[in-house]
Amino acid sequence: MQLFETLLNGLLLGGLYGLIGLGLSINFGTMRVVHLAHGDLIVLSAYFLVAVLVPAGIPPLAAAALVVPVLFGVGWALQRFVVGKSLGRGVLPPLIVTFGISMVLQNVLLLVATADARTLQSPLASAGVRLGSITVATVRLVDFAVGLACLGGLLLLLGRTALGRALRATSDDRDTARLMGIDPRRMYAVAAAIAAATGGVAGVLFSVTSTFYPSTGSELLLVAFEVVVVGGLGSLTGTFVGGILLAMAQLVGARLFGPSYQLVTGHVVVLLVLLFRPQGLLPRVAP
Amino acid sequence: MTLAAPPDPQRGTRLGSRLGGRLRAAIMAGGVVVLASCPAWGGAGIRDTLILFAYNAALAQMWNLLAGYAGLVTFGQQLFVGLGGYTLAVGCERLGLGVWPSFALAAVIAGLVAVPVGALTFRLKGGYFAVGSWLFAEIFRLLFGTWNFVGNASGMYIRPARTVDPWVSYYVAVGLLIAMVVLVVGTLRSRVGLALMAIRDAEDAAAGLGVNVWRVKLLAFVVAAAGTGLVAALITVHNPYIQPNAEFSIEWAASASFMVVVGGLGTVEGPLAGAVVYVVLQQWLGASGAVHLIVLGAVSVIVMLVAPRGIAGVLADHLGWTLFPVARRPPRR
Repeated sequence: MQLFETLLNGLLLGGLYGLIGLGLSINFGTMRVVHLAHGDLIVLSAYFLVAVLVPAGIPPLAAAALVVPVLFGVGWALQRFVVGKSLGRGVLPPLIVTFGISMVLQNVLLLVATADARTLQSPLASAGVRLGSITVATVRLVDFAVGLACLGGLLLLLGRTALGRALRATSDDRDTARLMGIDPRRMYAVAAAIAAATGGVAGVLFSVTSTFYPSTGSELLLVAFEVVVVGGLGSLTGTFVGGILLAMAQLVGARLFGPSYQLVTGHVVVLLVLLFRPQGLLPRVAP
Repeated sequence: MTLAAPPDPQRGTRLGSRLGGRLRAAIMAGGVVVLASCPAWGGAGIRDTLILFAYNAALAQMWNLLAGYAGLVTFGQQLFVGLGGYTLAVGCERLGLGVWPSFALAAVIAGLVAVPVGALTFRLKGGYFAVGSWLFAEIFRLLFGTWNFVGNASGMYIRPARTVDPWVSYYVAVGLLIAMVVLVVGTLRSRVGLALMAIRDAEDAAAGLGVNVWRVKLLAFVVAAAGTGLVAALITVHNPYIQPNAEFSIEWAASASFMVVVGGLGTVEGPLAGAVVYVVLQQWLGASGAVHLIVLGAVSVIVMLVAPRGIAGVLADHLGWTLFPVARRPPRR
């Protein structure tokens, strides 16, 4: 029963991890860029909510709804004016540029908001829901539900809309897409904006679920990376499943070896995946 | 797979620089004489600044060997910084091996660990390789932070290292830097270097011409790890306190990539020029403040977008100046 409870908690936390991984996956899927500042965008939105909007007296739900479009704009602008200018010259330039953005964001947060731990005080954080003989934290249920809703929304957007078709076309063959009248730079900016918006949602959820510091961005980048490696590159559903598996592994590790081994257990599982199944558990199958 | 021996790569190509051979030799000899005679003209302050320059430039050389020549962009060299530092600390503080034997051992340990780490992370490509190597450093940081033998997260002092004369550290630092420049130039002018640059420029084409891509990359990775471990051991001799969060910190990757990008990726002069800029900034903005890191990040981004070839690249492009020519040019007809 205890194991079941741990696995259930892992499944629910996995919804948030999957959401964190989705942003990295969208960026990589459309423009083959590993966006090293993605974790910092998540933490930036958490600070924006907790340190700016809520103290300004905006009700938490409305504030949360405001974070997402703002992050959409931030993601769009970063891509259009900074990251986009580094594309097309090999692997190194976008890595250096996104890593530089990460350093700037992290240390500006450190200067402005100090290194103190923050979290969003909310009734959600302490409430629980009884399921038979076990109690589940309400916030974890919300994490999972919102994460799953984001995955569903993205799959619909990519699969069923004209914009989604254009994004997929750009990803598959940039030059042919251009011949069809699609502007790849615009598509890249839209993709980066969508990725940042998922980061905004993740930041809101994370601020309620956990405490965070300016340096949490690096941890979240590694979480996103691990989620993508476990799930397999190139499929959003795979990424989401990867998030669930990673969270389960972490919580089982914490239960078996103690809380200080939660992250290490997750890391070791990722190494095992790399060793035995480097393509990930649910890679995109070639058509 | 080996093909028939390829023609001597030296034949039919020349290593070009608009600076004449004698002038280059004079500049290099001058640099070495200035560094070697430091006790005659500099005090402790200048000595410590030059040590800072030498070990940062040496770390940047190793990062450049990977990112600039082997096409392996990594944010995980802090793994080998930590291993080198801890090898020195454990060797002389816990095992009583003495400072310099432990120092030499640091290269061996870092090089040995690099083999499995490289074998696993090479399964990831491009940006995911960069983050994968960072993940390894993170795993070691967490493990060393819970390991009682090395003092957990609070770290350990290395008392035997405090008896080392700082001038000895100085000469070792300068010697290491010179040795690494010689090693990198020598490697790049050899067939291995040609293979490395071929992999960087077109991996599939290099494989098609019979280069064993995986083995050449692993060789570069192991050499860079051993070199990084050695430099880190020296840093620990000079500054004998060690702690996992600082040793395995991502800031090592930040400083190394900054120096190489600003100085000039894929050039031997680049890391040297980048280290000068880095040390000047550090003296000016303070050792490890947030402002320092903001400036490093912002300058890296701006240089990458505005002058991606860095200081050395700009000099080579506009004036044809290269101090250590390793690029090959087709023969003139």
